[in-house]
Amino acid sequence: MRVSLFLLLVIGVVLVTTEFPALSAEKDGRKAEMKRLLPLKVEDYKTDGKDEFYDRQTTFRYMDGAAELYRSYAFKLLLVRRYLKSGHPSLLVELFDMGSSEDAFGIFSYQTEEEEVGIGQGSDYGGGLLRFWKGNYFANIFAERETPATRKDILTLGEAIAKNIKKKGSKPKLIQFLPEEGLSQGTIRYFHLHQVLNHHYFISHDNILNLGARTNAIFATYPFSGEKSKTFLLLIQYPDQKQSEKTFKSFVKAYIPEADSSVAIRIENNKWTKAQLHKQYVIVVFDAPDNGKTEELIKITQTHLERRRP
Amino acid sequence: MRGRKVITRRDFLRGTAYTAFTVALGPSLSGEAKAEEKVKVVLIRDENVTDPQGQINQRILQRMLDQGVCQLLGVENPVQAWKQLIRPNDIVGIKSNGWFNLPTPRELEEAIQQRIMDVGVPKKNIGIDDRGVLNHPIFKSSTALINVRPLRTHHWSGVGGCIKNYVMFVSTPWLYHSDACSPLASIWGKAIVKGKTRLNILSLIRTQFYNRGAHHFDRRFVSEYKGLLIGQDPVALDAVGARLLQLQRTTHFGEDRPLDNPPTHIFAADEKYKLGVSDLRRIEVVKLGWMENSLI
Repeated sequence: MRVSLFLLLVIGVVLVTTEFPALSAEKDGRKAEMKRLLPLKVEDYKTDGKDEFYDRQTTFRYMDGAAELYRSYAFKLLLVRRYLKSGHPSLLVELFDMGSSEDAFGIFSYQTEEEEVGIGQGSDYGGGLLRFWKGNYFANIFAERETPATRKDILTLGEAIAKNIKKKGSKPKLIQFLPEEGLSQGTIRYFHLHQVLNHHYFISHDNILNLGARTNAIFATYPFSGEKSKTFLLLIQYPDQKQSEKTFKSFVKAYIPEADSSVAIRIENNKWTKAQLHKQYVIVVFDAPDNGKTEELIKITQTHLERRRP
Repeated sequence: MRGRKVITRRDFLRGTAYTAFTVALGPSLSGEAKAEEKVKVVLIRDENVTDPQGQINQRILQRMLDQGVCQLLGVENPVQAWKQLIRPNDIVGIKSNGWFNLPTPRELEEAIQQRIMDVGVPKKNIGIDDRGVLNHPIFKSSTALINVRPLRTHHWSGVGGCIKNYVMFVSTPWLYHSDACSPLASIWGKAIVKGKTRLNILSLIRTQFYNRGAHHFDRRFVSEYKGLLIGQDPVALDAVGARLLQLQRTTHFGEDRPLDNPPTHIFAADEKYKLGVSDLRRIEVVKLGWMENSLI
C-alpha cells in the first residue's frame, strides 16, 4: 500500500514538473513563431541576441507584481527582446501570446487612456509606453529612458512588429450586445476576474458576481451628453443559466438588497443602479442619471442578446 | 462570505467602509478605538536627500535613518539605538526589494548595513537580498531580519509594503494571491522569518502612487516624497503607507482614484494573523524634519 502511494506521488510529481513531449514541441513551435514576429533589426536598432521566454509559471520571475494580470487571461507565452542602438537608450519589447484574440484585446483594454497611434488592431501610447494588440498577440514596447527620439523609435518598432503579425483577430463577441448610442468605444473593457473589474470600477473586495476563468465580462462607459458623470454597463456571460441565476440573486442581496429585482434603485450617490438576469447573462447598469436611462440600456442590451445571438 | 458583512462600493459612498472593513475582518476594531497604547512609527523627511538629478545623498540618508531609529527607540546615539535591535553575534538578513523600476535604494541598504556593523556584527554575517533569500546562507541561518523596501501601489494587493516584502520567503508566491493577497501575513509565521524581524523601514524617498505601464509602473505617477517611515510594527507602517498613497492620488488627480484592489492584506494582518495594528486611530506618527506637503 505504501509502495503504491509512493509510486502515485512520484508519478504526480513527474507529471507536474515535466512536460509531455508533444506539449514541449508545441511550445517550441510557438517560441519560434514569436521570434519570427520580432525583427532582428529596425533602422539602427539591433537585437542584443538575448531573448527571454516566460510562461504562466515563470512569468513571476520577470514581472513581479504584474504577472497576475496577464495570468487572469489565457496568457500562454511571453517573449522579451531588447534592442540596442549606440548612443540611444535601449528599447524593450514584450510580446505576449494571449491564447486568443479576445484575450489579447482584453489585456489591451485594461488601460486605454492615452493616444491611439494606429498600430495593430488597437494601440495606446503615453508616458513612453506603446501598447497594442493584433490577432492573438499583445505587445508592450518602451525605452529604458525617454529622450526626444524615443517616441519615433518606439512607434517604428511597433509598426514593424504589427506588420509581421499577419493574422488579425476578433474582438470579444459580447461587445456586439452593447447599446451603441453614447457608447465610448475606447473604454470597453473585457476581462474574466473580479479583481480586474475592481480596477475599472470597484464593486466589492468579495467576488459577489462570481467572476472566474469561465466567465466573460464587458464593462462599458456611456458619457451621456449633458451629464458630467458617466454611466456604466456591465455584461457578464456565465457558463450556463443556472450559474447566472444563482449569481443574480446573490448580487442583488449583497449590493442592492433593498431593491425589488425588477426595478432600478437610486443609491447613495443619487445615481441609479439596476441588475437584470437574461438567460446565461447578468446585466448591471451603474450610475445612470435617471431610472429611464437605466431601463433603456438594459432593454437594448436584452434585445441585442435576443437578436444578435452568436 | 457566510457570517460576515460584504463590503461594497456603497459602503465607501456612505463613508462607512473602514468600519465595514473592520467588521468584515473581526469584531474587535469596530466602534471606538481600543484603549491600548498607540503603536509608534516615525516619519522623517529631508528635502535634500535627493538632488535635482535624482541622486541620493548618502550622508543625508544615513542621518535620516539615524534620527528616525533614535526617535523610535527613545535613544540619543544611533549605535546605542541599533544595539537595542541587534546583538554582535546575530546573523542578520536585510530583506530588501529589487524590483527594477523602484528598488530599495542601495544607499539605504548600505546605511543599514553600516549601523549593523557598528553594533559589532562582522560583514560576513550580514546578507542583503530579495529574490534569493530562500537560498541565501545568511537568510537561511539568520537570527535577525531588517525589512526594508519602497512603498508603492500594487495591482493585486493594493499596496506593496512591509508585509508583502516577505513573499519571497515562500517558494510559491502565487498561492498567496487570493482575495487581493489577504493571506500574505501568514508568511510571517513561517520558521525562516518568525520572530526575527527587528525593524521595518518603508522607503518613501520615492513612492509610486498609481499603477500604469507595462509593469504597472510609470514615472509620471512616482512622487519624490524624500522620506522614510520607520517602525517595529509592519502592519502599522503599511496602514500609514496606504493612507499616504491615497492622499497622493487625491493630490495628483484632484480626486481619489481607488486602489486596484483594497489592501485587505493589511487588515487581515491585524485581525486574522495578529501581526500588528492596522487601525490608524491606534497609530502615532511622529514627524521629524521637512514636512512641506507631507500630506500625513
